[in-house]
Amino acid sequence: MNLVEKILARASGRAKVSPGEVVVANVDTLLLHDLSGYITSRVFEREVKMPMRYPERVAMVFDHHFSPPNEERANILEENRAFARRHGIHLFDCGSGNIHHVGVRNGLVRPGTIVVGSDSHTPVHGALGCFAVGLGNNSHAAMVMPFGKAWFRVPETIQVNISGRHKPVVTPRDAALWLTGQIGEGGAVYKALQFTGPYIKDLEIWDRWLFPLITIDVGGKCGYVEPDEKTIAFVRSLTDEPFDLVTSDPDGEYEAVWEYDISELEPQVAASPTLGNVKPVGEFAGAPVQWAELGGHGGGRLEDIRQAAEILRGRKIAPGVKFNVVPSSRTVFAEACREGLVDVLHAAGCSWFPPCSGSNQAINMGAMSKTEAMVSTHARNFPGRNGSPEAMMYLSSAYTVAASALKGCIADPREFCNKGGTV
Amino acid sequence: MMGGVCIKFGDSVNTDVIIPGRYLVSIDPVELAKHAFEPLGPEIQGQLRRSQIIVAGSNFGCGSAREQAASCLVGAGIKAVIAKSFARVFFRNSINTGLLAIVCPEAVDAIADGGELAIDMATGAVTVGDKTFHFDPYPESLQSIIDAGGLIPYVAKHVLSAGEVRKNG
Repeated sequence: MNLVEKILARASGRAKVSPGEVVVANVDTLLLHDLSGYITSRVFEREVKMPMRYPERVAMVFDHHFSPPNEERANILEENRAFARRHGIHLFDCGSGNIHHVGVRNGLVRPGTIVVGSDSHTPVHGALGCFAVGLGNNSHAAMVMPFGKAWFRVPETIQVNISGRHKPVVTPRDAALWLTGQIGEGGAVYKALQFTGPYIKDLEIWDRWLFPLITIDVGGKCGYVEPDEKTIAFVRSLTDEPFDLVTSDPDGEYEAVWEYDISELEPQVAASPTLGNVKPVGEFAGAPVQWAELGGHGGGRLEDIRQAAEILRGRKIAPGVKFNVVPSSRTVFAEACREGLVDVLHAAGCSWFPPCSGSNQAINMGAMSKTEAMVSTHARNFPGRNGSPEAMMYLSSAYTVAASALKGCIADPREFCNKGGTV
Repeated sequence: MMGGVCIKFGDSVNTDVIIPGRYLVSIDPVELAKHAFEPLGPEIQGQLRRSQIIVAGSNFGCGSAREQAASCLVGAGIKAVIAKSFARVFFRNSINTGLLAIVCPEAVDAIADGGELAIDMATGAVTVGDKTFHFDPYPESLQSIIDAGGLIPYVAKHVLSAGEVRKNG
C-alpha cells in the first residue's frame, strides 16, 4: 500500500484498503477558521445536538479577521469564542496567523495522521506525510465533532516525479504554479498526488509545503510528500507529542507516474480567472499593479519575506503601489524582526500587517475596485474574491511580487539580478 | 423518476459562482438559494426555479470546500446535477446534503440548455428524447446517505461501527 492507503487502513481498523472503497476512519485533527468554523458550529449545535467527543483534536483559528471591521463580524467572532469555550476546543484568536501555519506551528499536524478542515487548502498538510483533505461543514458537524470520524473514499494515487535544478531567481513557488498548469485544472480529479523525485526531496519543509497546496486547484483529493529525516526534525522542533511515521511500501501501487523537469523553468505568473492561467512572467510583463502582497494561505512564509527583502533592500517601491506584508504566523514575524527584515521592507515603503490570511477573500483587507490589480503570493485568483469581479489578481513568487512593486507593473525579477545570477 | 427542463452550464463552474463568499454566514438553504449563481446575472434565478436538474461540463463545483454550494441548490429545488465530472469536495458535499451528483458525460453532450430529460436512479439511466444513457450507481454506503436525505439525518438514523458505515447499525 502507499502512504494514503496505509493511513486510511490503520485509521479505519482494516488490514488493507484499496482505491474506490469507502471507509469510516478516525480523524486526528480538525482545523476550522473563523468563517467556516462559524457555519460548522451552528450546524453542530442546532442540527446535530450531540457532545463534542474529542475537543482536544479540534482547533479554530481566526485568520480571516486580524480585527473585525464591523459589528456583524465582531458578533460572529464573539459567537465563535463562546462556542470554543462551551466545547473546550483550541482557539487561536485574531493575530495568530493563517490557519495552516498555526496548525503546523502548534504541533496539531503530525506525520501519519488524518487532518481535515473546511478550508479547501487543507491538503497542504500532506507536506508532513499526513492524509489531509478538505471537507464540508456537515462532515465535521455530523461525524468529526460527535464521533471523531469521517467517511472517505480511498483515492487512486498518482506519483508526480519532479527532477532538475532551478535557474537562478526561479523558486519552488514558480515550480508549483507551473505544475498547476501542466497537470491542468481538473487534471487530477479525486486523485491523491504523491509529490516526489530528487527535486522535492532536496527541498526544505516550507518549500515542499507549496506542492500539496496546489492539489485542490488541479481537482485532487489530497497531496503528500513522503516523510523523511527532514520531516521528523521539523516536527520534533515544534511538538513533544508522539507520532508514528507512515511511509509508502516499496511495492505501493500508483495509478500513473507523471514526470516533470523544472530545469528550464522561468519565473511564472498565474493571472485571474484561475490558477491554470499560468505563463512565464514575460507574458504578463508591463501589466499595471497597484497592490502587492506577501500573504494569504499560500504566502507570508519567512522564505517569501526574505526573497522580497533581497530585492527591496535599499530600494523604494513605485509611487502608487501599496505593498502589504502579512506574516503567516507570529513566529515568522518574530524571526523577520530578528533578521532585520521588518526594517528593510518598511524602508522600501511596505506596510506590515498582523499575522492572518491577509487579503484572502477581502474579509478584513484587500478589496479592489474594478480598475485595480494585485500581485501576490496568494493561493487563489478567482474573480470577485478581492472586491470587484473585474479586478485582477496575479499570483507569483515573492521575488516577482517585489520586482513588480518596484516597477508598478508585472516585472521579471531577473531584471534585478547582478551578474552572478543572484538577486 | 425525476426530470423536466434542465439548466445547463459549461466547464469548471466554481463555488464562487455557485454561491458567492459574502453569503456564507447563512446555513439556510432557502435563503442561500436566492443568491445561487448571482455572478451570472439575475436571469439565471428564474431558470433555476423552473428546473429540477442542473447539467454541467467537467469539474463542476471546483474551488472552495463550502457546503453551501450544494445546499443552496437543494434550497432552490434542484434534485440532481448531471455533469461530465465533479470537483471532489462538491461531490462529497452533494452526498452529505442529499443532492444527487451524477457523472454521465454522454447525457451532457446530448442535451441543450432548457432541454428536457428524465433520471431513473433505480436503473442508473438518463433519458434525453429517444436516447438513454447509463451511469454507475453509488456504492451502497453512499446511496444510504442520499436515501436518508444527507449525512446529518443519516447519522441520526444509523449507528456507526468501528470500521465502516453499516445500514441499520
